[in-house]
Amino acid sequence: IWTGLLPAPPLPQRTMAKQYDVLFRLLLLGDSGVGKTCLLCRFTDNEFHSSHISTIGVDFKMKTLEIDGIKVRIQIWDTAGQERYQTITKQYYRRAQGIFLVYDITSERSFQHIMKWASDVDEYAPDHVQKILIGNKSDEDQKRQVAREQGSKLAKTYGMDFFETSACTNYNIKESFTRLTELVLQANKKELDVLRVPFSEELSIADLEEEETQRDAGSSSQKNCWC
Amino acid sequence: TESRLLGLVEHTGAHALFIFNHRRMAITGEDVTLDEIIPISHDFEIVEACHFGDIYIVFTKVRGLELELEVRLPFGSHTRLFLHEVNKAWSGKMQLLHLPGSCIGLFSGREGTRPGGDASPSQGNPSGTRTPDLPESRPRKGKGEDRNDLVRSSSHTMSNKAQMLTMPQFGLRDNLIRCELLKSEELYTYVKNFRFFVGTYNVNGQAPKESLRPWLSYSPDPPDLYCMGFQELDLSKEAFFFNDTPKESEWMRAVSEGLHPDAKYALVKLVRLVGIMLIFYVKKEHASFISEVEAETVGTGIMGRMGNKGAVAIRFRFHNSDICVVNSHLAAHIEEYERRNQDFREICTRMQFRQGDSSLPTLSIMKHNIVLWLGDLNYRISELEVDEVKNLIAKKDFETLHRYDQLKRQIDEEAVFKGFVEGEIAFQPTYKYDTGSDQWDTSEKCRVPAWCDRILWKGKNVQQLTYQSHMTLKTSDHKPVSSLMEVGIKVVNEDLYKKTFEEIVRNLDKMENECIPSVSLSMREFHFRDVKFMQRQVEMLTVFNDGQVPCQFEFIQKLDEPSYCKPWLTANPCKGFLAQGSRMDIELEVFVNRSTATQLNSGCQQIEDILVLHLDRGKDYFVSVTGNYLPSCFGTALHTLCLLREPIQEMPLETIKELILVEDINNLMTEKPLDIPKEIWMMVDHLYRNASKQEDLMQQPGLRNEFEEIRDCLDTGTPDSLPGSNHSVAEALLLFLEVLPEPVVTYSLYQQCLDSSSNHALSKKVISMLPQCHKNVFNYLTAFLRELLKNSAHNHLDVNILATIFAPLLLRSPRKQDLGEKRKTQDFLRHFLDPDLK
Ligand SMILES: Nc1nc2c(ncn2[C@@H]2O[C@H](COP(=O)(O)OP(=O)(O)OP(=O)(O)O)[C@@H](O)[C@H]2O)c(=O)[nH]1
Ligand SMILES: [Mg+2]
Repeated sequence: IWTGLLPAPPLPQRTMAKQYDVLFRLLLLGDSGVGKTCLLCRFTDNEFHSSHISTIGVDFKMKTLEIDGIKVRIQIWDTAGQERYQTITKQYYRRAQGIFLVYDITSERSFQHIMKWASDVDEYAPDHVQKILIGNKSDEDQKRQVAREQGSKLAKTYGMDFFETSACTNYNIKESFTRLTELVLQANKKELDVLRVPFSEELSIADLEEEETQRDAGSSSQKNCWC
Repeated sequence: TESRLLGLVEHTGAHALFIFNHRRMAITGEDVTLDEIIPISHDFEIVEACHFGDIYIVFTKVRGLELELEVRLPFGSHTRLFLHEVNKAWSGKMQLLHLPGSCIGLFSGREGTRPGGDASPSQGNPSGTRTPDLPESRPRKGKGEDRNDLVRSSSHTMSNKAQMLTMPQFGLRDNLIRCELLKSEELYTYVKNFRFFVGTYNVNGQAPKESLRPWLSYSPDPPDLYCMGFQELDLSKEAFFFNDTPKESEWMRAVSEGLHPDAKYALVKLVRLVGIMLIFYVKKEHASFISEVEAETVGTGIMGRMGNKGAVAIRFRFHNSDICVVNSHLAAHIEEYERRNQDFREICTRMQFRQGDSSLPTLSIMKHNIVLWLGDLNYRISELEVDEVKNLIAKKDFETLHRYDQLKRQIDEEAVFKGFVEGEIAFQPTYKYDTGSDQWDTSEKCRVPAWCDRILWKGKNVQQLTYQSHMTLKTSDHKPVSSLMEVGIKVVNEDLYKKTFEEIVRNLDKMENECIPSVSLSMREFHFRDVKFMQRQVEMLTVFNDGQVPCQFEFIQKLDEPSYCKPWLTANPCKGFLAQGSRMDIELEVFVNRSTATQLNSGCQQIEDILVLHLDRGKDYFVSVTGNYLPSCFGTALHTLCLLREPIQEMPLETIKELILVEDINNLMTEKPLDIPKEIWMMVDHLYRNASKQEDLMQQPGLRNEFEEIRDCLDTGTPDSLPGSNHSVAEALLLFLEVLPEPVVTYSLYQQCLDSSSNHALSKKVISMLPQCHKNVFNYLTAFLRELLKNSAHNHLDVNILATIFAPLLLRSPRKQDLGEKRKTQDFLRHFLDPDLK
């Protein structure tokens, strides 16, 4: 009971004791070839493949992040970007709490399509879903067709955060995944606080300095704190 | 190891585990056979063990049946959920056991004297750690949960919404992380020495009369921790029956005043069972490194349960070491050493500490890294007369005397305190003195002096610095004993710990990702060329389980669609189970029948679909199916066919599409439509000329391959005349009529036909109301049938046979037909089959 007195958890048992796992689903959306699968691979396995094997279906991977001391498990869904599968992939939107809208900075077209992806998200994803905009392949600056400002401007109009990333050079990958997870965590804070209650209700404030005064306290001979 | 299916079965409140044998892949109930039933009774228990990087292992032991079963369950949330349910069933059982009246095992020290003589078995025991009058106010663990090897899965209670956010089944992950952290403890901890003061004092029911400093503070340096045990704190009846005593606070004050003056201490815990009390202090600077403090008591006195004898204990974690301190007062009397041994064993089994996470098993004394055991163990000196003993003491020949010590002898015989160490005794026996003096017992009993009061330890990295008695204290008939010990404690290096922890989590993520079911598919796109009406085409899709776990696959429905695929497509099988590394062929079959032909003929639909192959707890794979369909007159409407002067496959698809949209033929016409579809004419004319006298015409089935030739001939125009036998042509005609999207007698007039079936004139009138091409076809067909009847001597046909065959083709009900309706349609048709009719 009095363990509540302990400062920041230095002991493994403290970090491990009775924690709740939070699970969120994040979804990667964007045209075929913008690098969704590569982003995921870089983030979870720290790998990069230069060949494009188009995703035909819906794939996912797990990753554990610690944010504000909360252990968050994220399930990241990688979808097929090809147009002909879009009617099917839309069905997966409603299970997502966070969405990455990804374009390729070397493809004007993929950037134009963000509008379409965003409106699909509005239509099919849950209302409180969190979104961020990703301009991938930032390493390919010489082939750039979309200026960074264009990306950040679009993000602003949608009220989203914006990252330019490179799965190839591992630039901004962890940052963008962490950011979206944070946003989702914040958006679900109410539910999380419910979880905190049973965690803290037992903590009693006992003062180390008041050793003497409590000595004779109560008929119960068990002392639960530093009395 | 064999594969089995495990099921938890509930029937009228009773639970059992059913173990099934199963075939290679079990899909329906027929694939499994019952192998064994294990009732979940109170002697059922589960022991979990986890092997990192491998799968999760569970042992299920059933003691009552002398059955021990080892099951390896697959890693994952399903397993966690299953165990959770099993545990729930089991604890439900245990609760039943705890109904009042059936828990005699929990004997209460207060029962006999409770005012009003409340006879209900009490829930407390006479220890100081319970709130005796509010037994229900604190949900305590039941007897069943004292079992040390039971693992209960975490059962969080949360709001519904919150529950959605969490996955309680990930409790498995926490267990794995804990296991791993424990295994790699050496990577992030180092051993550091701390000084423990351990003391024991039997105070013979006295109040403190003198300072305890000579006992507690004789060392120059202040110890880091203090563990002091008292016995016979209060010998009164009140203390015994009500566990209430003013002595507790009196002695506590004496202790706190006797602590080493050169350091500040904080009281961590005090626990008392009647007269047995244990107090635990630490230096303030160490306070934040103490965690998981639990205290428990075990009574071994009267009736084996009462608190006049027994033990109290405190367990705690100091930095990363688990420590247990036990203070026991064992059975008295010189000849009772066997009882003392037994008390020790009792204490060891019954002393169980609960853990902070209630899903974890309770901890026994011996599960700790370090055990410090002190107390009035009551072992005496035997086989020597009082005088001999006193003589040896006077000579300070404690070595010789020690050879007669019962405790030493019992330890040497390994009868008690196995694994414990006691330091050399260089002090004279601590019992029994005349109170207030250093004189041996002068009472009538004239007890033989004995080393009743002892301190032992168990565990690595413990070094005893001092072990002594304190003669100056004269309050009791015992002398207090103390020991200073240097104890090596595992201290955590924060940076290394963090690194280890992150590494474990990373590995776990990796492992979990590897455990996501996965398959590879032989092909992702299937193209079916030249799909024809009623002609089956099959392609093979091979699914190979390239993942690390068995998987269950299934083609799943897409949103807003009634089935997992279009009606002209089937996957066989559409679900199944794949063991690791095994493969399965799935037939993708395209078959256009009557229900799908019309839409495909018209081009309103194409052979185009995307199948979603879903893996249970895994990914989804898309498989696209495309093809081109060759339109056919079969399944095309009469009025459309009347507009087609060329075979249907000679017409551009666009034209057919346009013609289908034409509702009223007379509206558009550039060319006059045909009176009847040429395809009907071709079939009927062929039969009229070649088959009028054919025996059993319309009653023998045609041949499938001949039908296909006839269909192609009608749809392409080649060859010039219909191929195949008469029976096959007849079959084609019947099929043609059957698959018309709108029957010859249109749905709208069906009811009127029924109503007028008994009246010849009325029947004829209904027919006159049909659209032109339908009327033409009807008249043409009935004329042909009448022709056939003229040759009934040869073809054995009669009105009844023809009415039975053609009524359901010409007069199709929009609903399900009943028997009476059927008869009426035949009656209706009969009006037109009478050979005399003109
Ligand atoms: N230079 C560079 N190439 C990248 C980067 N990310 C991905 N690519 C390349 O882009 C191609 C497509 O990457 P994928 O991740 O397969 O694309 P996708 O978005 O998953 O495509 P679909 O699965 O078809 O929707 C691959 O050849 C990658 O090597 C990047 O950051 N920089
Ligand atoms: Mg992809």
